[in-house]
Amino acid sequence: MFVWTKTIALVLAVAGFALAQSLPDSTKVQEVAFSNLYVSIEGGEKYPFGDLVDAVDNAFYAGLGVRYTYWEDFDGIILFQYAYFEPHGKAPRINGVHEASGKLGLDYRWHLISPIAFGAGFLCNWTRADYEGDKEDFDYNHDPGATLTDNETEFGWFARLNLPIITLNNYRAGLNVLWEQLWTLPERSNMLSVGLYVERRIW
Amino acid sequence: MFSFVSRFSLTKIAGAVIFCAVASIAAVDAEMEGMEVDQRDDGTFLVGSPTFYFDRALGGGGLHSESELWSPSKIRQRLLFNRMSVLPSWDVLPPSVWIKTGNELGDLIYQDFITTEDRPKNRTPILEGGFRSPSFKGFWVTARGFQDDHFSTRTFAYRKKLVDSEFALFGENYPMFSSVYAGAGYTGSQLNVSALAGEEYLWLFYESSRWIPVHYKPRVETRLDYGKLAATVVYEDAEYQNKKKKETGSRKEWNGSLRYGCGDACRKGFLHLSAGVAFRAVDDEGTVYSSLEDDRVLLPFMEMQFRVRNRFAARASFAVNDRDWLVQDSIEFRPAVPAKSGITVGVKNISGTRLNPMADTREFFDGDTISLTADGRMDLVQGYATFTDTVGNLEMGGRGSFWAEYGAETFDVEKYVVDDIMVYRHGDVDRIDDWIKGVTGELWMSIWYKEMFAFKALGGFERIDGEEKRFEVTPAEYFASFSADWLLRKSFRISHSLRYRSDAQWNLRSPDPMVIKGDWYWDATFEQQFPKQGLYLTGTLLHVIGDEVVETPNGAENRLRFVCTVKKTF
Repeated sequence: MFVWTKTIALVLAVAGFALAQSLPDSTKVQEVAFSNLYVSIEGGEKYPFGDLVDAVDNAFYAGLGVRYTYWEDFDGIILFQYAYFEPHGKAPRINGVHEASGKLGLDYRWHLISPIAFGAGFLCNWTRADYEGDKEDFDYNHDPGATLTDNETEFGWFARLNLPIITLNNYRAGLNVLWEQLWTLPERSNMLSVGLYVERRIW
Repeated sequence: MFSFVSRFSLTKIAGAVIFCAVASIAAVDAEMEGMEVDQRDDGTFLVGSPTFYFDRALGGGGLHSESELWSPSKIRQRLLFNRMSVLPSWDVLPPSVWIKTGNELGDLIYQDFITTEDRPKNRTPILEGGFRSPSFKGFWVTARGFQDDHFSTRTFAYRKKLVDSEFALFGENYPMFSSVYAGAGYTGSQLNVSALAGEEYLWLFYESSRWIPVHYKPRVETRLDYGKLAATVVYEDAEYQNKKKKETGSRKEWNGSLRYGCGDACRKGFLHLSAGVAFRAVDDEGTVYSSLEDDRVLLPFMEMQFRVRNRFAARASFAVNDRDWLVQDSIEFRPAVPAKSGITVGVKNISGTRLNPMADTREFFDGDTISLTADGRMDLVQGYATFTDTVGNLEMGGRGSFWAEYGAETFDVEKYVVDDIMVYRHGDVDRIDDWIKGVTGELWMSIWYKEMFAFKALGGFERIDGEEKRFEVTPAEYFASFSADWLLRKSFRISHSLRYRSDAQWNLRSPDPMVIKGDWYWDATFEQQFPKQGLYLTGTLLHVIGDEVVETPNGAENRLRFVCTVKKTF
């Protein structure tokens, strides 16, 4: 545990110094915030990874996105997505799980791989089971999916690649490849999502 | 009771110093206003609930925790049974709108489908939303709803049986507090006045170690600041209940304070004076689990500061009434030293008949009356010396102190009662009529680069000699902390802190002492800032690497948690 904490601290330090070396004057930096703003619609599929493969099946998702200029080489990103997961194994009386996901992070537009951008941030997923019957009938200590008969929320983090394919005037279409990890127990829950988006520049 | 730092621990601390010196007191955001103690790293800070914690800085001297001690500077804090607390804060925030949510991490979510045995306990959230309008000709309105469901799961089932509702404004987690208020005010150049009204659910921790549910309906707080005068008047209509025993009661309480301080000219002069009075008056009906002698307390106080240039300063506060008195004073001397260096030598003293003369005087527990006051007095004296030296962007400093306390407040346990997962105690508040002595040492080093980066390493040790078995808490003997603030491009903040505390121990709350093992903790805040727009997007990770243990008697686990906030200032 101590080792990865040291690693995180070291990465933060190195990243901080590296950023500091390449940063323009900060007064200019604050002027560019929100100088551009884009909205997008997105659709694709989410793939459970690791032990989660035995929990739920792949699911389609759809969502809305907002991207805005934060610094000259960084964009802020806000994503709202919805997916409906079906249990992979037996889960009596539970048809599926509604998931609403909110994501907030930053995209780095590194000039060496432009127009591709990579980003990371925090996410918050709200879930609730689509079930039949009374939730009091579930045994919370044993029945698969029982805790999801009430609202459940969990946080996590994500990393993504933003791969633009076509850019036309104020429109852009591209691919969003996103890895997310929910901080669940007894194990963390990992998923990969791949989706196409269409984005329009608002200003 | 002395124990020496193990070689292993020293190696760990040395290793951490080296890597942190390369890599990284940070301003990690508290999960809620008043919960800053959970990120404190300069002593013994044990949190069992937002409404009950032990908070003692290592260099503070004496055995008491900071929240146990009343002082004139705390007259606008909340009195939670016998402790002063910022939380639940009814301090009106600057004009802005904000929303905050978070969770103890570790819910099952999809793991629920593949985990049918030994499921982890439910994790619980945090929720806050509020606003204060911009000023219109000095007038403004405000509202705030906030509750912290963290620290609630372990005692949830037990507490649920004591009340006849969810005991919260929102949800079914039986949070340790849940509060909502709204009001209006006026802010001018000389006058600041506000009136707030709301509803509040609180679980208060009593000396018997019981959680007592209190429902304020309503709670009304008015404040007036006019020039040199500051006044606060609060009305609370509190309902008490124990559904299990079919007991109900109510307390109507008026409390507040009046304070008059000298003006700016006086503050800049060599003598600074202020005086005031704090008061409480209660009217109890039915079953209320504590009482206040004569149903009232009136505590006049005076503060004084005498300063000669920046060389000599003497500070004192006196509070006295017909039942108690409390004196806190200090004298400091700063000799002439080279520029960018500093030396301070001082002596401080706390004497009094009671640490908190405003608190209730008796508790009632299953036919027993627990006296919350003790005969006699306590005297604490502490001598200290501090040095600092600055070279370029590096500051080093140290502080050493010796303290001795006679008559420290403690609890004379007559017997323990075990009820399910809870352990209660009978007895009375008492004194340790003997000298307890302590010696402390702290060293720190700070490095900074413009506004972009600041790092601080801090370490401290303390040795205490006295009748340990009678200490409510045996504090940690040493700590080390490393913290850093980054402000990248003046608009992205990363604050984090890594720290270690050695073992601490509760001695008087269970038949066997409750040892809180020493551990490492890491907290971090990440914030996108838009100063021009007044927008702040913040995410904070708390308690990342520490074991999730119960840190106070009858408390709940201090878990890994994440909190995010969106705030727009006006």
